[in-house]
Amino acid sequence: MGETRTFKEEVRSRLARLGLPPDRERDIVEELAQHLEARCADLVRAGRPEAEARRIVVDEISGHEAWAQLSERRAPDPSRLGEAGTGSALSRVWGDVRFGARLLRRHPAFTAVAALTLALGIGANTAIFTVVNAVMLRPLPFADADRLVNVYETNLARGWSSFSASQPNFLDWRAAAKGFERLAAWSGQSFSVSADGAPELVDGIAATDGFFPLLGVTPALGRNFLPEEDRPGGARAAILGHGFWLRRFGGDPAVVGKTIVLTDAPHTIVGVLPASFGWGDAQIYVPLAPDPQGRRGDHRLNVMGRLGPGVTLDRARAEMVAIARGLEQSFPDTNAGWSAALEPTFDAAVPEQIRRALLLLLAAAALVLLIATSNVANLSLARAAARQREIAIRVALGAGRGRIVAQLLVEALLLALGAGLVGLLVALGATQALRAVGTGIPRMDEISIDARVIGFALLVSSLAGILFGVVPALQAARRNAGGTLALTDGRLGGARVRGRLRGALIIAEVALSVALLWGAGLLIRSFALLRDVPTGFDPTRVLTLRLDLSAARYPTGAEVWSFYDRVLAEVRTQPGVAGAGAVSLVPLGGGGNTASSLRIDGRGDGGRLPSTDWRIASPGYFRALGIPLRGREFDARDGAGAPPVAIISEEAARRYWPGEDPLGKKVVIESFGRDPATIIGVAGDVKSFGLDGPARPMVYGSQAAYAGWRRFSLVVRTQADPSTQVASIRAAIAAVDPGVPLADVDTAEALVERSLGARRFHMVLLGCFAAVALALACVGLGGVMGYLVSQRTREIGVRMALGARPRDIFALIVGHGMLLAGIGAAIGVAGALWLTRVLESLLFGVTPTDLLALAGAVALLVSVCAVACYVPARRAMRVDPMRALRCE
Amino acid sequence: MRDTTFERELHKGSAEMLILSLLEDGQRHGYDIAKIIGQRSEGHLSFHIASLYATLYRLERRGLIQGRWVEKPDVRRRRYYRITPAGRKVLAAQRSRWEQFIAALTRIARLRSA
Repeated sequence: MGETRTFKEEVRSRLARLGLPPDRERDIVEELAQHLEARCADLVRAGRPEAEARRIVVDEISGHEAWAQLSERRAPDPSRLGEAGTGSALSRVWGDVRFGARLLRRHPAFTAVAALTLALGIGANTAIFTVVNAVMLRPLPFADADRLVNVYETNLARGWSSFSASQPNFLDWRAAAKGFERLAAWSGQSFSVSADGAPELVDGIAATDGFFPLLGVTPALGRNFLPEEDRPGGARAAILGHGFWLRRFGGDPAVVGKTIVLTDAPHTIVGVLPASFGWGDAQIYVPLAPDPQGRRGDHRLNVMGRLGPGVTLDRARAEMVAIARGLEQSFPDTNAGWSAALEPTFDAAVPEQIRRALLLLLAAAALVLLIATSNVANLSLARAAARQREIAIRVALGAGRGRIVAQLLVEALLLALGAGLVGLLVALGATQALRAVGTGIPRMDEISIDARVIGFALLVSSLAGILFGVVPALQAARRNAGGTLALTDGRLGGARVRGRLRGALIIAEVALSVALLWGAGLLIRSFALLRDVPTGFDPTRVLTLRLDLSAARYPTGAEVWSFYDRVLAEVRTQPGVAGAGAVSLVPLGGGGNTASSLRIDGRGDGGRLPSTDWRIASPGYFRALGIPLRGREFDARDGAGAPPVAIISEEAARRYWPGEDPLGKKVVIESFGRDPATIIGVAGDVKSFGLDGPARPMVYGSQAAYAGWRRFSLVVRTQADPSTQVASIRAAIAAVDPGVPLADVDTAEALVERSLGARRFHMVLLGCFAAVALALACVGLGGVMGYLVSQRTREIGVRMALGARPRDIFALIVGHGMLLAGIGAAIGVAGALWLTRVLESLLFGVTPTDLLALAGAVALLVSVCAVACYVPARRAMRVDPMRALRCE
Repeated sequence: MRDTTFERELHKGSAEMLILSLLEDGQRHGYDIAKIIGQRSEGHLSFHIASLYATLYRLERRGLIQGRWVEKPDVRRRRYYRITPAGRKVLAAQRSRWEQFIAALTRIARLRSA
């Protein structure tokens, strides 16, 4: 044993962590040590040996909590809350805050459970809000983005409400339109960049010189395109994206003025864009140089405008329609039936459907938070019971109802704000996950936590705090206002009121959970059904990759075909390859408008049919992708100079040759030319644009049909895992021409999966919310039933004493819990019947009233509730009647 | 195990009243106060030393009592506390509230035992 410490040392060591001013501490040490010495002396006088007396005294002064009271920074004593007129309102609130903080610290279990529950709810809300904020609330990242509009050509007779513009039409618009500060056009393009030997296919765009000024973007280095560069035959200029500049030029500031070879043509680098600018995957920008002599019927340009000062969308729209009408009169051959339409660029970037779905998810997250809040309210009610004496004493000491409510609310808010902070962290982690899942949602790369998100988290936390704080607070105040009933340990009226409240909270939780589970069930069912939708092709073990030939290297159609023929032949000889073909756009791989008019001789209205999508396919394409075909595929007979042939889809056959066999019939596919093509095959319908839409009619032309098309996707069916075949296919292509880059290497299965991206996002999120809701409701119900059992211990004892068997007691408790769950489920079903209608647009193949989803949700919930009741019911069975009765 | 319920209650207000009432008829030092409470309650009430002095300092800060070091020849200086006029006022108010409170308790207790 070491040296015995003096009483002064004992006191000083206990005061050390309180951080008192040294003078103050010295006084306290002196006074308290004297006290202890006196106490010790008294004990010795009473006959205790000195050592034992010392030990008793030291023992009496143990306990950190008591010593903490001597901290000069401590919160005011609760009894002071009763005194009118002590201090200003502000200092009173501050006092409440400190008092609340101390209480929360004193009950770490309650605080942790409540805060975590809330943090989960707040985190879910904040995470979704982060997405909503980035996708919907923030303007597009351009100057005055709300003045930006997309301008389309339309041909309503053919069902095209937002079509690309042709070059001459754009030029005429730009010359005539007064309502715009500026009009600019752009079009996607990919470039073969051959630095360091290996060619690379880089996405970029060709844009008019007004494009960057329109968006309010100034190059970080160098300059924008000059008007003279943006003319046919103008100097070849290029502006680099920031990332590309860093990657390929190491961020060299002297890059401006250097030459870069893009698709076999040297371009002068005139500028580098700032890091903040992004436009899809585009990394290289060249002048579009629209040609006034170009074909008016060739619609390929995306047009954007910035509304002039004070010009409304409607006025600009009216002006554009008038201009289009003038063009219709001047160029009836090409422009008859064509008009113009405007849409805010934001609406185009973030479609209505996405916005609705996000708001729906936000609402679902709010439901989760409501459930979390009711759980915490329930916890607080249980604690309110334990705190009745404290509150009663404060009331006895004159604390008004308002003061008690204020104190309890401040405590709740404190807890909620703490939970909000944790929730923000949860959200921070969740947004990372969301970004990974949210492949189908636009602007996901812009997600970040900003002031608005933090404000939202604070707001939501405060609301939750008020919500779960106000119930116990009002209840406490109401009970105590009537007198001091509370001191009777809650076995009179108060408990019954609380019991009802807790029951109501559980019913609400169950109801909300049913709604969420049901919604999630519907989305999961939709997703499952969608995945079962036949794509029309067999995506297993298929590799796709994109090639783009340069006009400089392959100027004629014949050279292009010869290249692809040789590549396909080379690929087919590779071991492990079962088949190969090429197509202009691979199904579900995205891509632009490819609509053409069809004409069938002898039909009314000049034989013109509504628009039909078209593809160009090589020999072997249908076989390689596993598309069933009646008739024959394209083959060597259909090369250059051969009579035009076409393959149509089943849907096209049904629509345009109802009740006839289209094989051998002739059709003019206007995009391919004016000569009628003979239909040589009918191919199965392929979901080219998404699994959820109906199959659209499709016509396929042979490679000979469209001489100008240089960009094809290879489709390679392999015998083993297609990803192991990439190198050999790359080598096969290089064997034909090492200067041709490939891009978008993918498996067909990945394309199918990706097309489900947005739906997976919705399903995963709603599923997560439903799971959290279910867990919270289960915990809440279990807690309430456990509390009920402890409250009814005496009643259970009496029942058992009167002959009830444990089985009956079990049934009694489970029955009670299931009654609450049942009422909740019924209310939830009724509410959800009404609510799930908003889900309709997200569903596929199921109706909102789908019985399987409903039955599944209810069954899941009921079984989880049964489990939640089981534990407390088991406890009730084991109540010892004698002990229970003796409690009184 | 020590029953801390009463002590908790003391923190919440009754301790202050007890101290104020003990100081009503003269000044006392801290150990004296603790001893009297222990004796008069026949050992049922006891203070943790830190609680006692925390309460004393708090009452002092609020101007309800006044403490000062008293030095006498041959004896170590000691700190004595006396009640202030403001303290007497608060004591009177608290007394009447506690009387009502205890009356209510008693009424209910009788109701329940009847």
